Amino acid sequence: MNRPRMRSPFGSAIWLGSAKTGVEHWWAERVSAVALVPLTIWFLAAIIFHTRSDHAGFVAWLREFPTTILIILLLIALFHHAALGLQVIVEDYVHSDLKFAVIVGVRLTCFAAAVAGILAALQIALAS
Amino acid sequence: MIIHSSDQVSRARFLKRFPVPKNFGVPAESRIVQGRTWPAPEGARRVKVFKIYRYDPERGTNPRIDTFHVDLDDCGPMVLDALIWIKNKVDSTLTFRRSCREGVCGSCAMNMDGTNWLACTRFISDLDAPAVIYPLANMRIIKDLVPDLTHVFAQYEMIEPWLHVKTPDPEKERLQSAEERKQLDGYYECILCFCCTSGCPSHWWNGNRFLGPATLLQAWRWLTDSRDEGSEERLDRLEDPFRLYRCHTILNCTRTCPKGLNPGKAIAEEKKAILERRS
Amino acid sequence: MTHIRPRSPNIQSYRPQLTSVLSIANRITGVVLSLGGVGLVVWLVAAALGPEPFSVVQGFFASWPGQIVLFGFTFAFFLHLCGGIRHLVWDTVHGFELASIYASGWAVVAASIVLTAATWIASIFMGA
Repeated sequence: MNRPRMRSPFGSAIWLGSAKTGVEHWWAERVSAVALVPLTIWFLAAIIFHTRSDHAGFVAWLREFPTTILIILLLIALFHHAALGLQVIVEDYVHSDLKFAVIVGVRLTCFAAAVAGILAALQIALAS
Repeated sequence: MIIHSSDQVSRARFLKRFPVPKNFGVPAESRIVQGRTWPAPEGARRVKVFKIYRYDPERGTNPRIDTFHVDLDDCGPMVLDALIWIKNKVDSTLTFRRSCREGVCGSCAMNMDGTNWLACTRFISDLDAPAVIYPLANMRIIKDLVPDLTHVFAQYEMIEPWLHVKTPDPEKERLQSAEERKQLDGYYECILCFCCTSGCPSHWWNGNRFLGPATLLQAWRWLTDSRDEGSEERLDRLEDPFRLYRCHTILNCTRTCPKGLNPGKAIAEEKKAILERRS
Repeated sequence: MTHIRPRSPNIQSYRPQLTSVLSIANRITGVVLSLGGVGLVVWLVAAALGPEPFSVVQGFFASWPGQIVLFGFTFAFFLHLCGGIRHLVWDTVHGFELASIYASGWAVVAASIVLTAATWIASIFMGA
């Protein structure tokens, strides 16, 4: 027997059993992806249009009501999608207990970035 | 399905392997060392070089790559023919599994020129020169080209691949319409060679938890069977971030299936079914 | 002493194919775009802070390294967008025939190159 452990192959395959969950994560990744298709294309088109704008020009654009809404929606969808996707990547490649620390780091970073971006957009929009 | 060629789509010529170091993440016991070169057959006019993975558990040494020269005029057209030729004429210790030699038993699955296929249905002429033969990727090796399939078969056992019924047996048999029977096409033909599971990068990194394409294709074969009454437990068993959702639709499985089946599609059906029962 | 059975090579020997290459490309571009999202937040925060910090960020994006980074983000964006749409179609259980997989795969590569070029040409026209 060359098996390093005495646990049966079937027991190893079962391991902790099914989580009976996982579809939520997968589904949220799809929903946020669908949201990102129009939002990112809109953002890219707007940025191209503003290639030569200065600070005043950008701020004037960012203060427009639709822009503020779309930017905030973009930030929410983008960082939600990023957090979900990056978590899967970490789970794929990190196999030590470090995994949980990295996932917490990824999630908090994405949350913080989204909040910072939304507050910046609101600051620009609401500044008098 | 009739297999017309042993290549379903043309293989990449510009990049033969991913740009990673040869021993990237390879533990000490799995490192491959230089093997020996066996003498070329005398008087042969058409010779092809085969580089073959060897591992002898009784020697306790690392796996190695041996080089063989096969006389194509003295040998059948398939890779399995070449392996049998080597075993008969050069080195009788070369070990591999084979049985039917016509692509229905799944024994001779191995990695040829970097992709998994059955040795009996791949033409020697389809392989590069030199031809490179490894066992199925990412498996514990018992000897030479014989992989230990215990774990993947344990995963297969886990999905309980038999008919689950809750209602009492009818007097004669459980009926199925022609249309319902058609639902099994493309799934029941799997021969469990594990070419797909062995070629799936997600199974390489998380094979202890991810069930892999072969088992998931079989899981759909039972889920889609109109006579089966166990779909609730079957889907419960599958719905797990690793068991099912570690599939990232890479589709190396569909690319490599020597029977032309579609594990990727079966897995998409499972994800859709799990979504359907909650939305 | 029992000798541990060796594991046969996987990524060290398995041939790259359109399927696996586009999959890992989608993953890498996803990570790149997550960093791009952080860049977007930095840009928004700079705009909120005023013309001085904003000109520093804009100055970087206008420089040669900045332009190369932006070009990289553009290509990563289109590859991830097109690859993502391909994934969404697969999630509806369509396009799984091997011929379709290869046709859509090459279409993603071609569309990403064309859209990246079109974006930069449009941007240059806007800037002129």
